[in-house]
Amino acid sequence: MLNNLIFIILFMLGFYALIMKTNLIKNVIGLNLMEAAVFFWVISFSDIGGEISIHKLGETMGEFNDPVPQALTLTGIVIGASTAALLLTLIIELNKFSGTIDRDKIEGLND
Amino acid sequence: MNKLMKKTLISAVLIAVTFALYQNFTLMPEYRGLNEGISDYIITYGLNDTGSLNLITAVLYDYRAFDSLGESTVIFGAVSGIVLILSRKMLPVSSKGLSFIVKRTLGIITPFIALFGFYVISHGHLSPGGGFQGGVILAAISIIFSIVYGSAFDYRRYSPQTKTVLETVGALIFLGIGLAGIVMEGAFLSNLGFLTAEKGTLISAGSIPYINIGVGFKVGAGLAIIFYSMIQKTFEEDF
Repeated sequence: MLNNLIFIILFMLGFYALIMKTNLIKNVIGLNLMEAAVFFWVISFSDIGGEISIHKLGETMGEFNDPVPQALTLTGIVIGASTAALLLTLIIELNKFSGTIDRDKIEGLND
Repeated sequence: MNKLMKKTLISAVLIAVTFALYQNFTLMPEYRGLNEGISDYIITYGLNDTGSLNLITAVLYDYRAFDSLGESTVIFGAVSGIVLILSRKMLPVSSKGLSFIVKRTLGIITPFIALFGFYVISHGHLSPGGGFQGGVILAAISIIFSIVYGSAFDYRRYSPQTKTVLETVGALIFLGIGLAGIVMEGAFLSNLGFLTAEKGTLISAGSIPYINIGVGFKVGAGLAIIFYSMIQKTFEEDF
């Protein structure tokens, strides 16, 4: 199963960036990469080679692809964008206070 | 030594997680297709239930409309948090903008971008698209304005107050249609039957086009506010 393999590679790349990198923006990128892996997998496993699930008037349609995972993925993309924006905003604020976005060098948050 | 041990430990964790994922996929049953369950119901009866040609829109704004309301609430929460965190600056200092040629070209192109955004929003039940996608296109106009003309231009034309009003109007359209569903049909956000028209026309599919318009306003204004809040500090430092 090729899509499972690609899912594992993408997901582990994101997980690697989340754990090993100390730059906070790279951590956000890793988080988004993990999300993208999940969306890719959900869409690809429900693709049975049918038609796009939109009716055309006056035509008899063949077998549709499953519309439910696509709708769920749309929800997930919107929420992923919102959380990414909020995380980046927090990083901007952190840079104002401590002057760094490296999570090992953050200082001076006690006062 | 300490650092080496840490890296070894993290590598072991990564390999273990990879192996666990691989094991999960080997244990998982095969995808059984659409012959049973909710997907089969939606594909068979979705067009007659909702009147929407696009079944994904039918799922989003009819069967799972309450979930979409929660989704736009998530966007509202993100916008509120970002504006609260970054709310120190009163007026943004303008950037200089790009060259004259870019400004003139954008002046010609902008109405077409807006037209495309409104097309994607209003045809959400007939073709690929919908409120979220079209709203993002509309937010792109505001972002391009900020980059090409400078942020003060965007502030004068579409001030943050206007964007806030637009976002509120979108949310109120969504909620109003939901409450109308209680009055007319007996359930929150149920499809309004008296708005149904012939399938395939622009004004059809009950309340779905109106919810699309509300969501489009909400997402477009919300993303524009997010971008606008984020650039303020940067512009003050750079120019």
